[in-house]
Amino acid sequence: MNLKKFIVPAMVLAMGTASFSAYAAEKVVKIGNILPLSGPSASVGIQGKQAREMAVDEINKAGGIKSLGGAKIKLLFADSKGDPTTGVTETERFISTEKVSMVTGAWNSSVTYPSTQVAERYGVPFVVPVSVRDTITERGFKNVFRIAAKDSWWTRDQFRFLADMQKEFGVKVKTVAFVYENGDWGTGFAEKWRELAKAAGYKVVLDEPYPSTASDLTPVVLKLKRSNPDVVFMTSNAADAILLTKTMNDLKVNVKAIVTSGGGHADPSYLAAVGKSAEYLFDIVEWETDLNRPGLKETNAKFKKLYGYNLTGEAVDAYASMYLLKDVLERAKSTNPKALQAALASTKLCGGKTGLLAYDCIQFDQTGQNKNASLVIVQVRSGKDGKMERITVWPKNVRRAGYKVVFPQPGK
Amino acid sequence: MKFLSNVQTTHKVFAALVLAVLYALPIFITSPVMLQIFILIFLYAYLTSSWNFVGGFAGVLPLGHSAFVGLGAYTSTLLYLTYNISPWIGMIAGGIVAAAFGLLIGLPTLKLRGAYFALATIAFAEGLRVLVENVEKLGPFEVRGPKGLLINLVGNSFKDFQFLSKVPYYYIILTMLVLVLILTFFMMRSKVGYYLAAGGEEPEAAEALGIKVSKYKLIAMAISCFLTALGGTFYAQLVLYFYPKSIMGLDMSYEIAFIALIGGRSTIMGPVLGAFLLRPVGELTRIYLGDTLPGLHLIIFGLVLIIVMRYQPRGLVEPVSRWLNILFDRIEKRRRA
Amino acid sequence: MIGYIESVINGILMGSIYGLTAVGLTLIFGVMKVVNFAHGSILMVGMFAAYWFITLTGFNPYLALVVVVPLLYFFGYYMQKIIIKPIFEAEKHVREPITVIIVTTGIWYVLDNLALLVFGAEFRVAQTSVTGKMVEVAEMYFPLAKMIGAGITLLLGIYLYWFLKHSRMGKAVRATSLDREAATLMGIKQSRIYNIVFGMGCACCGVAACVLVPFYYVYPTVGVPFDIKAFVIVVLGGLGSVPGAILGGIIIGIIETVGAQFMAATWTEMLIYAFFLVVLFVKPSGLFGLRQDY
Repeated sequence: MNLKKFIVPAMVLAMGTASFSAYAAEKVVKIGNILPLSGPSASVGIQGKQAREMAVDEINKAGGIKSLGGAKIKLLFADSKGDPTTGVTETERFISTEKVSMVTGAWNSSVTYPSTQVAERYGVPFVVPVSVRDTITERGFKNVFRIAAKDSWWTRDQFRFLADMQKEFGVKVKTVAFVYENGDWGTGFAEKWRELAKAAGYKVVLDEPYPSTASDLTPVVLKLKRSNPDVVFMTSNAADAILLTKTMNDLKVNVKAIVTSGGGHADPSYLAAVGKSAEYLFDIVEWETDLNRPGLKETNAKFKKLYGYNLTGEAVDAYASMYLLKDVLERAKSTNPKALQAALASTKLCGGKTGLLAYDCIQFDQTGQNKNASLVIVQVRSGKDGKMERITVWPKNVRRAGYKVVFPQPGK
Repeated sequence: MKFLSNVQTTHKVFAALVLAVLYALPIFITSPVMLQIFILIFLYAYLTSSWNFVGGFAGVLPLGHSAFVGLGAYTSTLLYLTYNISPWIGMIAGGIVAAAFGLLIGLPTLKLRGAYFALATIAFAEGLRVLVENVEKLGPFEVRGPKGLLINLVGNSFKDFQFLSKVPYYYIILTMLVLVLILTFFMMRSKVGYYLAAGGEEPEAAEALGIKVSKYKLIAMAISCFLTALGGTFYAQLVLYFYPKSIMGLDMSYEIAFIALIGGRSTIMGPVLGAFLLRPVGELTRIYLGDTLPGLHLIIFGLVLIIVMRYQPRGLVEPVSRWLNILFDRIEKRRRA
Repeated sequence: MIGYIESVINGILMGSIYGLTAVGLTLIFGVMKVVNFAHGSILMVGMFAAYWFITLTGFNPYLALVVVVPLLYFFGYYMQKIIIKPIFEAEKHVREPITVIIVTTGIWYVLDNLALLVFGAEFRVAQTSVTGKMVEVAEMYFPLAKMIGAGITLLLGIYLYWFLKHSRMGKAVRATSLDREAATLMGIKQSRIYNIVFGMGCACCGVAACVLVPFYYVYPTVGVPFDIKAFVIVVLGGLGSVPGAILGGIIIGIIETVGAQFMAATWTEMLIYAFFLVVLFVKPSGLFGLRQDY
C-alpha cells in the first residue's frame, strides 16, 4: 500500500508545476482541445490538431487578442482515444485544473456528447467544430456551440441531391440500399434515411449494418450486388470505406449512383488508397478544395506545404473554430466564461480568414447550432494525371464551372 | 498477502493509518480531476479484486470480465430508465443477472485449462457485446444498440445515485473496495478458499482427495461476476453515458487482468497495488505525452508492462510486502527496546 | 443459386487466408503453450515491410515473400530470445506461463503505436499487378489475389506438415511440444527450439502479410481485426494444429460469407462467437487438437 505515498506527492507536484508554469508565462488564453489522437480515428484527430495549430500560429503572429492586450492563444491538446470516459475526464481536467477559457472538440459524437455535459455543468463554453449527432445541440444547453451541420441536415441534403439529379437528368430512381457501419454514427444516419426514403417513395431493398472492425466486407458487397438497387447510400469509417469501395468495384456492382456520407470517404488517404475504384462516387461534405471562396487557395496552399495534404472539411471547421474563438475573445474583452458565452451566442462572423467556409457567416441559433452551416456534394473523378479528384457538383449554384456531372454512372 | 496473514499489531496500526489517510483525502484534495483519478484507481482496484475471486483463487485467466461490468451497468440503467427503479436496487439486480450469466458460462468453461478458458471468455464477452449492439429493444427496455444509454442529469440525489461533486463517488467506491478486500480476506480463510487454492494449483490431486473443485470454482465465478457487476453500475452512474464498446469492450477486460498480474494475482493487496501503478501510468502519460507524439503514451504503457513482468513476474506485491515486513520488523524492535 | 455458390467460394478463399494468419499463432502455442497477443502486430509489421518493398521496388508483389519472410523470422527469433526468454525462465515451473501473455500484450502496444509514430495514421494500399484483377467463372467473380493467397496457404500448410513430421528439426520441435523436460533430457536445447518456433510463427505472419497486401489496406492497427479472428480460429481447429488452423479459418470464412446472405453482417459476427463457444463446450480440443492441451 505504501506506493501511494510516493505517487500522491509525485502527482500533486506534477499538477502543481503544470499550473504554476502557466502563471509565469506572459498573458495567454488557454483553449483545451479534445481529439482522438490515437486509436482508429487518429487520422481525423490529427487533421484537426494540425489545422488548429496553423490557425493559432497565424493569430498569435498577427498580434494575438488585441482587446486583451495582445494576449496569445495557447492550445492544449488531450487524446480522447475515441473513448467517452477519457473525453469526460479530460474535459474536467481542462476546466478545473488547467483553467481553460473554452474547450473545443471532440470529433467522435460519442465523446462530444458526454463531454459537453461536463462543460455545461461547469458553465464553460464548449465549441464543437465537427460532431454530427443531432442531440448534441438539442438538450437545452447554454454553453455548447456547433459549427458543423448536424446529421439530420446531412441526410436531408443527400436526398435533396438525389431528387435534383433525377430532375436534371430525367432518370427515375425506384430502389435504394443502405450500407452503414453499426456505430452510433452509421445507425443514426440509417434511421433518418429510412424516414426520408419512405417520404420520397423509394423502395428500400437492403438495409445492412456491418461491424466497422470487419476484416472482410465481401459478404456485404455480394449481398448488395444481389439486391440490385438503383442507388446505394453508405456511411463508413476509413478502413471499411476502402474495403467496400475496392470490393464493389472488383465484384462489378452496378448501380446508378453511390452516395456516401463523408467520414472515411472524405479521409485524405482514402482516394489515394482506392484510386479508380472510387470513380463517379458522390460524397457529401461541408467543404471542398475547389469551392470558389475568398482566401481558400492561399490557406490550402499553406496547409499543404506544412502538412503535405489538402485541407478537409474537418480541418476547415477546426481552422475556422480558432478564428471564431479569436473573434469571441475580442468581443468579450475578457476570459470570463459568462462573457464568452454571451459573445458566442451573439456571433456573426463573416469573411476574413473564415471566408473559405462554404457559406458566408457563422451564426448560432438558440440551441447553439450554426444555422448557416451548409453542405455540398462532390463527385469523384480521375483527372488527367490519373490522380483522383473531388469535384463540387451540388447545389447547382456552386458546381465547378464547366463540369458535367455523370449520373447515372456507366455500367461496369 | 503475507503481511496481512499473520496480523500483528503493527500491521493493524498500519492498515488503519492507510485507511484513515484515504478517508481523509478529499479534505485535502479538492481538485475534481485528482479525485476522478483516485476514483478510477479505486474502481479498477475494486473490479480487479472482484476478478481475483476467479482469476486469482480459482487459478484460471478470465479475459472477458468487462461483459459483467456491462451486464451490471445495463441492468441497473435499463431498470432506472424504464421503471425509475433506484440504481441502488438495480445494482443488486445487475449483480444477480451477472452471477446467473457467470454460472451459465462457467459451467462448461471452468473445466477448461489455461489458454482455452482465457480465449473462451474473450469470445463470450465479444459475443455479448455484439449481441447488445444488435438489440434496439428488448421487451419494455430500450437498449438502443450501439448508440448506448444516457442517464439524464438530475443533480444531487442519493436515490438516483447521482452527485454533482466527486466526493460522494469517492467515498462510495472506496467503501466498496474496502468491503471487497475484507470479503477476500475471509474467503481466503474459508473452506471455499482452501479448496480453491488446492484446486488452482493441482486440480487432479485435489479431485483425487475428494474435493469437488469445479463446484467451488463455480461458486467463486458467481461471486466474482456478482461483485464485478456492482462496479459496472457504479461506473454507469459515474460517467452517466455508456455504449457497448465503451463498457463491454476488450480493452477493459484486458486492463483488469493486467492490473491483477502486475500487482500480483491471488493476493489481497495485488489488485490495489496494480491499480495504483497502472492507472496513473496510463492517465499521466496520456495527459503529459498524449498531445506530443501520437501513440507515445501507449508505447510507454506497453514498456511498463514488459518491464514489470520481466523483473517481477509474480507481481509487485512480493517486493512491496518484503519492504514492508522489513519496515515493520524495525518498528517492532524499536518498540520492544 | 449462383449467388450462393459465389458466396461459398469467396468464403473459402478469404477463410483460407484467415487460416494463414492464424497458422503462426497455433504453431507458437503448440510448442510454447503461450498465446501470443502480439500476433496481429507482427502481421502489421510484415504488411508494412511488404508494402514498402512492393511500392519502392515495383516488383511482383509475391517477390516480397523473399524479403519479408526471413525478415520476420529474425524479428521473431530475436524478440523471443531477448524479451520473452528471460520471463520464460523465471516462470519455467509453470505449465502455462501467463505472464508471457502480458509481455506479448506489451509488445503489441509498443509495436502498434511505434508504427503510428513512424508511419502516421494514414491508410495505404499497394498498387500491384494483381490488385483488382478478377477471375470470371460463369458470371461469378473471384479476386485473383485471394486465389493466389489460398494457394500459398495450401503450400505453406503442406510444407509445415512435412517439416514437423519428417525433418530432424521438426521432430525436435514436436518432442519439445509434447514434453519439455524429456526433450531436454534427450539433448534438445529447449530455448533454441523456442527461438526457432517463435521465428517460424512470425515468418508465417510474414507470408500472410505478403498475401494480404495486394488486396488489403495497411494501417498501424490493421492487425487488430485479425487478432481475435485468429484466436477463434486456432481454438476451433485445435490449439497447436496447423491443418486445424487452416480448416478453422475456412469454416469461419464460410460462416461469415454465407451467413451474411441470410442476416445482417453484424449478426454473423455474433454467429461466429456462438459457434465457437458451442465447439468449445462440445469438443474443447477443437477439430484437430491434442487432448492434453485443454
